[in-house]
Amino acid sequence: MIKRVWLLPWIGLFLSLPAKAAWEVNITPGATAISREVYDLHMIIFWICVAIGVVVFGVMFWSIFHHRKSRGAEARNFHENTAVEILWTLIPFVILIAMAIPATATLIKMYDNTDSDIDIQVTGYQWKWRYQYLGQDIDFFSSLSTPREQINNEAAKGENYLLEVDNPLVLPVGQKVRFLFTAADVIHSWWVPDLAVKKDAIPGFINESWAIPEEPGIYRGQCTELCGRDHGFMPIVVEVKSQADFDLWLADTRNAAQAQAAAASEEWTLEQLMERGEQVYNTSCAACHQATGQGIPGAFPALVGSPMVTTDIDAHINIVLHGKAGTAMQAFGAQLNAVDLAAVITYERNAWGNDTGDSVSPQRITELQQ
Amino acid sequence: MSDPKKNGLFKAALSALAAMFGVQSERNRQEDFSSGSPLRYLLTGVLMVALFVVGVILLVRLALMLAGG
Ligand code: HEC
Ligand SMILES: [Cu+2]
Repeated sequence: MIKRVWLLPWIGLFLSLPAKAAWEVNITPGATAISREVYDLHMIIFWICVAIGVVVFGVMFWSIFHHRKSRGAEARNFHENTAVEILWTLIPFVILIAMAIPATATLIKMYDNTDSDIDIQVTGYQWKWRYQYLGQDIDFFSSLSTPREQINNEAAKGENYLLEVDNPLVLPVGQKVRFLFTAADVIHSWWVPDLAVKKDAIPGFINESWAIPEEPGIYRGQCTELCGRDHGFMPIVVEVKSQADFDLWLADTRNAAQAQAAAASEEWTLEQLMERGEQVYNTSCAACHQATGQGIPGAFPALVGSPMVTTDIDAHINIVLHGKAGTAMQAFGAQLNAVDLAAVITYERNAWGNDTGDSVSPQRITELQQ
Repeated sequence: MSDPKKNGLFKAALSALAAMFGVQSERNRQEDFSSGSPLRYLLTGVLMVALFVVGVILLVRLALMLAGG
């Protein structure tokens, strides 16, 4: 009785299986015609493999059992049998061709990037995505929005832990969207299983793919090319909207961009800049320099007490706008708007006891950007 | 097998084909190594690979044509 104790966890596991209905190991049928075709191909090929496995292992086990030594079986020693060799080469060949025919038909469709309704350039950055709607005047970054407290185990993890962003990619339902993938620093890869799109984003190259989302909804994905420290922290969220909602979103987003431009010419107080700067810092800088401003020794410099951050304001503005070539410090001049840049620089100069009292106005940044 | 000089080319082609397929009987293999010049086998081998490449190109063309691409 005691000896059967090892069974208990297994019994527990099997009893809990029905309760875990959402426990899935298979790929998703997804939300597009292509993703369903991919799923069907996967299932057909899976069952072919199962059938082959059953036949091969069946014959093997039967032979072992039937020709066992205790029944006086004796091995026949022979070398080569051309007929059998041809057979076991031809059969897999035929099976492979039979699988290749439907697979090729789907692949040809997947590579047909013509006749798109919307073109979106997707650029991978360490560690966020940038979406530019070509010819639509829409251009924004999409960064992880999971709070740092959840990541650091200081708060309970949310439902979409590490799969949520500040600005999702928004698409209209039923339109052919063509994606053009590239990257600004290292190789990334854009993967949204529900759309059956998984493409490398490579600096200096443009890769293409497309999707026609069929149902409004939220589809999540991830970067699937190891791209450095926060590779697991640059998720993708696609929000598919009805055409009417999409048009509203387009208008809203354009208005917001104009409001941003207007905000850059307003007067900002130190407090306002600090408040905004903290948000910007936490989404754009904290991954490397840490929320405490202490950085990570040997990799990312501390900003607390740094001579540049506490004295040389021009050098500080310069490195944030233009980055430092050959290091992980990126040029944020094109990624953030003038207000965000002014705010984050002001924040760094006054947070964590840096207390310089300096405040950088958005106007100063706008001038430098021209 | 008959006179190797008469059927030389055909036999070399068959051997190259067997090599590409990956199966050859021991008897034919011995025969190949004791008859004719190696050069003939090398040349037919290269030619067969070239034909294979052209074959694959044509197959892809056909597939794309059938798909209406
Ligand atoms: C991907 C990692 C990364 C991110 C994100 C990042 N930095 Fe940096 N930063 C670096 C590295 C690495 C250096 C050191 C460069 C060098 O070798 O001089 C640096 C240097 C700096 C310096 C100069 C510090 C000194 O004392 O020399 C400042 C200021 C700075 N970063 C500000 C920012 C701001 C502001 C942001 C957000 C808008 C930001 N960084 C985001 C990696 C990063
Ligand atoms: Cu990445």
